[in-house]
Amino acid sequence: MSEINILIILMISIAMVISIFRFITAKEIFTRILSVNLIGTKIVLLILLVGTVSIEKDFTDIAMVYALINFISTIVVLKYYEDKEVSK
Amino acid sequence: MKHHAIPRIVTKLIIPLILLFGLYVQFHGEYSAGGGFQAGVIFAAGFILYAVIFSLDVAKSILNINMTKSLMALGLLLYITVGFVGILSGGNFLDYNLLSNTKTNGQMLGIFLVELGVGLTVSNVMILIFYAFNDIGKS
Repeated sequence: MSEINILIILMISIAMVISIFRFITAKEIFTRILSVNLIGTKIVLLILLVGTVSIEKDFTDIAMVYALINFISTIVVLKYYEDKEVSK
Repeated sequence: MKHHAIPRIVTKLIIPLILLFGLYVQFHGEYSAGGGFQAGVIFAAGFILYAVIFSLDVAKSILNINMTKSLMALGLLLYITVGFVGILSGGNFLDYNLLSNTKTNGQMLGIFLVELGVGLTVSNVMILIFYAFNDIGKS
């Protein structure tokens, strides 16, 4: 793992810590959902970064699945808080 | 969710890609991460997204509960059939080597069919669980 990769992983981790702080101090539920979505996006980036330095080539697939689950769960939770019901 | 344009249009754009990715995980499962179970879950996730955005009634008119149950049983039946073909041709249960003329072809065909059965069953079980969760508050 080269120096620049460690630097990028460190910066993304700091951004994740800021997102977690925003999650704790948020007043509205929508801010919390948005911060969870942000953390998920950063986890996707971390998976891809680890995939560039690893011997295994499957990390891109896993990152795509993680992005998909992140998207669907955000939409479902938002719909639940708007309608108080998932499907109408 | 009629008045939300962005989720509707993004969902319309993204659902074919989700289903295509599910098929990729299904048929490329021998060489990379994946297999029948994961492909079934991804496929069902695409359908659940559709059901969330365009109401449950539209989703049920496409794939109703009886159809889901039938497809679920069909996947299991495919798995068991492949298993018993191995016994009937004089080998063990799920003996892939006897399915075709050479051992390699038999293994390829056996893994393909068994994973297809697993994927069909898992995706329909996931959709059925989603339907069941929606009916909890109503009865």
